[in-house]
Amino acid sequence: MAVIVVAEDEFLLADMLVSFLEDAGHEALAAPNGLAALEMIRSKSVDLIVTDYMMPAMTGLELAQAVRDNADKKELPIVLVSGAQASIGRAHPGLFDAVLDKPYQLGTMLTIIEELLSDGRS
Amino acid sequence: MSTLLPRLRSGIAGLDDILGGGFIEGASYIIQGQPGAGKTIFANQVAFSNILKDRKVLYVTLLAETHDRLFQSLSTFDFFDRARLGRDITYMSVFQTLRDDGLSAVVKLLRKETQRNNASLLIFDGLLNARDTSHSDLDVKTFVAEVQSQAAFVGCTVLFLTSARVKEESPEHTMVDGVIELHDELAGVRSLRRLQVKKSRGSAALGGFHQFEIAATGISVWPRLESIGSGLEDKVFHNARVPSGIQGLDRLLGGGVPSGSVTLLFGPSGSGKTSFGINFLQQASEEEPALHFGFYETPARLFAKARAFDIDLEEKHTSGHLDFAWHPLTENILDKLAHDLLQRVTRNKVKRLFIDGLGGFERAAVYRPRLVEFFAALTNQLRALGTTTVATWELRDIFGPTVAAPGPEISSVVDNLIMLRHVELESRLKRVISVLKVRDGEFEPIIHEIAIGNQGVKVALPLQPVAGAATGIAQPLEQ
Repeated sequence: MAVIVVAEDEFLLADMLVSFLEDAGHEALAAPNGLAALEMIRSKSVDLIVTDYMMPAMTGLELAQAVRDNADKKELPIVLVSGAQASIGRAHPGLFDAVLDKPYQLGTMLTIIEELLSDGRS
Repeated sequence: MSTLLPRLRSGIAGLDDILGGGFIEGASYIIQGQPGAGKTIFANQVAFSNILKDRKVLYVTLLAETHDRLFQSLSTFDFFDRARLGRDITYMSVFQTLRDDGLSAVVKLLRKETQRNNASLLIFDGLLNARDTSHSDLDVKTFVAEVQSQAAFVGCTVLFLTSARVKEESPEHTMVDGVIELHDELAGVRSLRRLQVKKSRGSAALGGFHQFEIAATGISVWPRLESIGSGLEDKVFHNARVPSGIQGLDRLLGGGVPSGSVTLLFGPSGSGKTSFGINFLQQASEEEPALHFGFYETPARLFAKARAFDIDLEEKHTSGHLDFAWHPLTENILDKLAHDLLQRVTRNKVKRLFIDGLGGFERAAVYRPRLVEFFAALTNQLRALGTTTVATWELRDIFGPTVAAPGPEISSVVDNLIMLRHVELESRLKRVISVLKVRDGEFEPIIHEIAIGNQGVKVALPLQPVAGAATGIAQPLEQ
């Protein structure tokens, strides 16, 4: 079981992904924006982050930059899910380990998460 | 001295004219309408238009619909540009903040996000949802007041979108600078979209309903023609005359058609109105560009009809001296027709206009009592543009005593009246023409026969003296 932070301002998407990850045997924590997610990562032992791009307080890009700048957390795998800014994510391979376009298949998401959890950042 | 306030252009065709120049920078507006009325398209069109002017936009939702669904539906519009998302326009949901921390936390978040995104336009989609939040620590009127005051402080314009009808006596209505209502209703069997500016602080907005449509280009609004001050002066040189193009008619008119005047040509079907128009437009030239604005015959049919008269209208068209605007009698929008007509006349500097006919405008009118004011506004604009106009009106009865001109009010807004009729006399049908009115001019009041043949319409001899010719059923004079 891994601890996964889901940073997503759209509550329907966040709730659905949290439920799905819990059904897959993980502990999933929803954060309504990038800043709330960063605080969770700092205060808890987290294994992976799934983040949206456009969010209040801190974007997914800013969240990834903050994580990579943190010496203790910089190796955390980060998956970006975005409807329109996937290209921005792909332009930053050093920040994101995977980029998924919305809408995505939950099965594909889970496969990517399991691979990152077992292999780490490659 | 009055001051013109800085404006944020809406990017919606026609709306800035209605708003008196656009939204006022730093002001707050409520955009209200039932679901499906077009609020989201309205707001996104304003947003994408403004990012083209290097403004940053913050679009905040309280909706259950995901942003991806929103982007999917917006992608059917020309104004939507996916590449701008996250760069110049930021969409965010504050539903969780509202649910977990209440409206005051949303106010705080909006202040921070407006600054963080350097937004000069804030769109808040879902004011109704904010109102429905039962455990809110802040009521909606205070929420609106706080959001608009902090936005105004940084010069950010705010659009609050809501499905609820904000009543005129409600505090929200009182506080904001403007209220725009979008309507989508049925008029008979047709759908009717209308916009109304219900409040406009600091601007002389055009009141009443204005029809709009939603197409791939987004929303276009057509300001009610009679609500617009023309701002144009009547430049007509009243004594000047232009040739009608109909052999023999200029003499009856006292030397030709008064330049820059509006002539109503009325008669039943088959009496020669369209043929009259072909002769009138045959005079199109580089100095006198012409336009045929019609609802019935296509340009191809008109070319063919003209060819039968040995008149080459196609060449006039190809050389750029004659324009055609054909609006088939389907579901037209009255003011859209008028704006298209005036735009073409202005753009091409049209000096000779044939409208076939005014009935096409009448069919497009959802509220017919306004037609008199509408035609008055239209003819005033055409006169001010110096265009010599001939417009047809179809009489219902081919024969008979009923001469239903478009009503005395409409007849009074035109300058000249010409009637075409069939007259039955001694078992023979004759086509006749009579001039009933030439504004400020002498004219020949005798009814004349007309002939339609090679070269179109020609005025022939005066009709033999009979009684009742104007009714269509003539009787020999008693000896």
